[in-house]
Amino acid sequence: MDIIKIREGLDLPMEGKAACRTTDARGVGTYAVKPTDYVGLVPRLLVGEGDCVRRGDALVCDKHDDRIRLTSPVDGVVKAVVRGERRLLQAVVVERDGESAVRQYDTHDVKEVMLETGLWAMLRQRPFGTIANPDDSPKAVVVSAFDSAPLAPEYDYVLKGREQDFCQGLRAMTTLTKGVVHVCFRQGQQLAAKVEAMAESRIVPHYVSGPHPAGNVGTQIARLCPIDKGDRVWTMNPQDVAVLGRLMRTGEYRPERMVAVAGPAARSPQYYHVVAGACVETLVEEQLPEEETVRIVSGNVLSGTRIERDGYMCGYDSMLTLLPEGNYYDFMGWLLPGLRKHSFSRTFLSGFMPERKVLKPKFDTNRHGDVRPFVFTGNFERVFPFDIYPLQLIKACIVGDMELQEKLGIYEVEPEDFALCEYIDISKTDIQPIIREALEKLRKEGV
Amino acid sequence: MLDRLRDYITKIKPNFVEGGKFAWLQSTFEAFETFAFTPNTVTRRGSHVRDAVDMKRAMITVVIALMPALLFGMWNTGYQTSLTAEWWPYEQGSAASWWYCLWFGFLRMLPLIVVSYVVGLGIEFMFAQIRHHEVNEGYLVTGLIIPMIVPVTTPLWQLALAVAFAVVLGKEVFGGSGMNFLNPALVARAFLFFSYPTHMSGDAVWIAADLWGSDAIAGATPLGELAAGTMPSASALDMLIGTIPGSTCETSVIAILLGALVLLVSGIGSWRTMLAVMLGGGAMGLLFNCIGANAYMELPFYYHYLMGGFMFGAVFMATDPVTSAQTNAGKWIYGVLIGLFAVLLRVVNPAYPEGMMLSILLMNSFAPLIDHCIVARNIKRREHRKQAACVSGKEAHNG
Repeated sequence: MDIIKIREGLDLPMEGKAACRTTDARGVGTYAVKPTDYVGLVPRLLVGEGDCVRRGDALVCDKHDDRIRLTSPVDGVVKAVVRGERRLLQAVVVERDGESAVRQYDTHDVKEVMLETGLWAMLRQRPFGTIANPDDSPKAVVVSAFDSAPLAPEYDYVLKGREQDFCQGLRAMTTLTKGVVHVCFRQGQQLAAKVEAMAESRIVPHYVSGPHPAGNVGTQIARLCPIDKGDRVWTMNPQDVAVLGRLMRTGEYRPERMVAVAGPAARSPQYYHVVAGACVETLVEEQLPEEETVRIVSGNVLSGTRIERDGYMCGYDSMLTLLPEGNYYDFMGWLLPGLRKHSFSRTFLSGFMPERKVLKPKFDTNRHGDVRPFVFTGNFERVFPFDIYPLQLIKACIVGDMELQEKLGIYEVEPEDFALCEYIDISKTDIQPIIREALEKLRKEGV
Repeated sequence: MLDRLRDYITKIKPNFVEGGKFAWLQSTFEAFETFAFTPNTVTRRGSHVRDAVDMKRAMITVVIALMPALLFGMWNTGYQTSLTAEWWPYEQGSAASWWYCLWFGFLRMLPLIVVSYVVGLGIEFMFAQIRHHEVNEGYLVTGLIIPMIVPVTTPLWQLALAVAFAVVLGKEVFGGSGMNFLNPALVARAFLFFSYPTHMSGDAVWIAADLWGSDAIAGATPLGELAAGTMPSASALDMLIGTIPGSTCETSVIAILLGALVLLVSGIGSWRTMLAVMLGGGAMGLLFNCIGANAYMELPFYYHYLMGGFMFGAVFMATDPVTSAQTNAGKWIYGVLIGLFAVLLRVVNPAYPEGMMLSILLMNSFAPLIDHCIVARNIKRREHRKQAACVSGKEAHNG
């Protein structure tokens, strides 16, 4: 058995993991497709307010490549086209109205049917994290079948009953690459047995041990098939692989997924069965506490996106985290023992608590300090399992030295790979936006 | 009570922001406000949760780590005087004498610490104000270390000059904390050492003669004795405990190791650097043992750990994250070389009895080069990987 050991990393002891209980929320009324979720997509609107659309109909396509389309997840009417600053297209909102006859797709060409249904948008490429270019041939496809982020959904539970779809999806993905499809599991994951049983030569299961970011696909790519300039590796989330499998099996496009609603502020964290892009209001309604102000994050707390209470799930996310806002002052916070503060360093008394059973650390959105220059060194390496010098790369990004960024291996990383560095950073620098901006600049320069 | 303080600060805050009456005091106000209350800022971009540690907490941890050495240094200042001063009011070895040693040392050290903080922080606040920056916490540590590594009889005006020199030319001209390449505390000490050598070396500076003034009683440090060609009069045990003359807080190896423990457990100090300095110093000591050309070379290698500022330097100065090498591999090289050079300077160049200061400053200036080489190796590895992939790709194509 092939085991990849990850030593560097950190698991946050956060409360509020979703219990294995699901509520069917596929009846939610409104859905949105948000072009801003997709890195590098320049949207061209294809519909107008009031248009009737069916599931799988294109709402938006990419200006540079009209094969890449974002499609409606449900049958319904376009209710609103939301534009932001400089008329930037933010979202196309669709109101569901019943279900018409299910459309059957011709599935003999995987690429064609993925493009037609809009499922292609779920296929992302490394480097840059953009939607895969249909003309490329990636050197490998990597699927991480588990998520190690704080409070992340358990994919054994999430994909229960859809194992065959998942396997079918993986098989379909082998047609997209000349290389192999790597699938990474935790040891003892039930899903792994199903994939092993397929015994396909071009689907290679791996087992990854160690703390977060072991489940990040970037960590796995760095070990399995590191990316150099010009390389392309494609990746897709497990639930979308299952959607692809179902599409191949039945010819029906059903972009459904299980969403974990979790977090310290959730009243009874659990799973919801939704259609992609659902409005989160009905999901969080019963979860939000009455008094606290809570931040709703689509995705995990380390690299998720903040959304409003009546906002919509982001395209790639399988979880919602409810996190208390931390806009309070802390008297002499730098001096007091800090029994309930979580820190990677052991500068607080909480770092010496056995098992953290009595006083569990509190998590909220407080930044716990002011921004300072980088002073301390050697910490990032302890949570950054890449053969890359993180501080040096961050500095190269800050000064905008693109040649140096390339040399230091920027193509191997995505902002989420730096999330833990950002978490433990004493200087409170926002590192993920720095990496994203550097990557975007490199991408636009056309390298 | 706390709420009222908070309300008051919130009330007067508008005076100190852009357009307020005291906008020119903005950085100063911010420094005091964040001193009292960790701000209520929430995360906006990037990770939504953040580690509870910040620069203030990290720096205060270092200050805590310095406490054992500082307290012992105060006591030892009094103790050294009590051994020889005729006016000492209590009987040697009595409990009263013990406490008076601490009190005497406290009174001797206090002006040094006050001058260091007032001058240093004054300049820091000024620069922060001019640059519209926030005041950085780095000086909390530097300002305490400087009085800890000078002789107790250092005149205050010299100390003030040295601090000003170190903060302005050692740090601020490069852009402040995090941008400097030399350890500011050592810059201050080097300034004193080269500007006022008679006050920084020799036999008559280490022991205060009385409560005030810069008169000293003669008393040699082990390194001074060795440089003069005699063996150290203090036993290894005395040097381990620290009851010997020396710079105020550098003498007790045990107290410094307690501080090292705090730094290592909290993860603030680099164990790599500390261990590497020890290894480097030990290796050089052993090498000299092998050569054995004179008495100094034959000195057991572990004496180098016990004498002078070796331990203090290894634990508190070499580990300064800004001026040390920043890559982990680099820290090993940097540390080992500090140890090697420190012992080399001690043994081979009697003009500089203490090699640690110069050795760390020397390696400070080489740290960026070391890092450059380490990172270059990483870059080369990546290039090789790419070339290998190209070659195998072509072979596959041809085959």
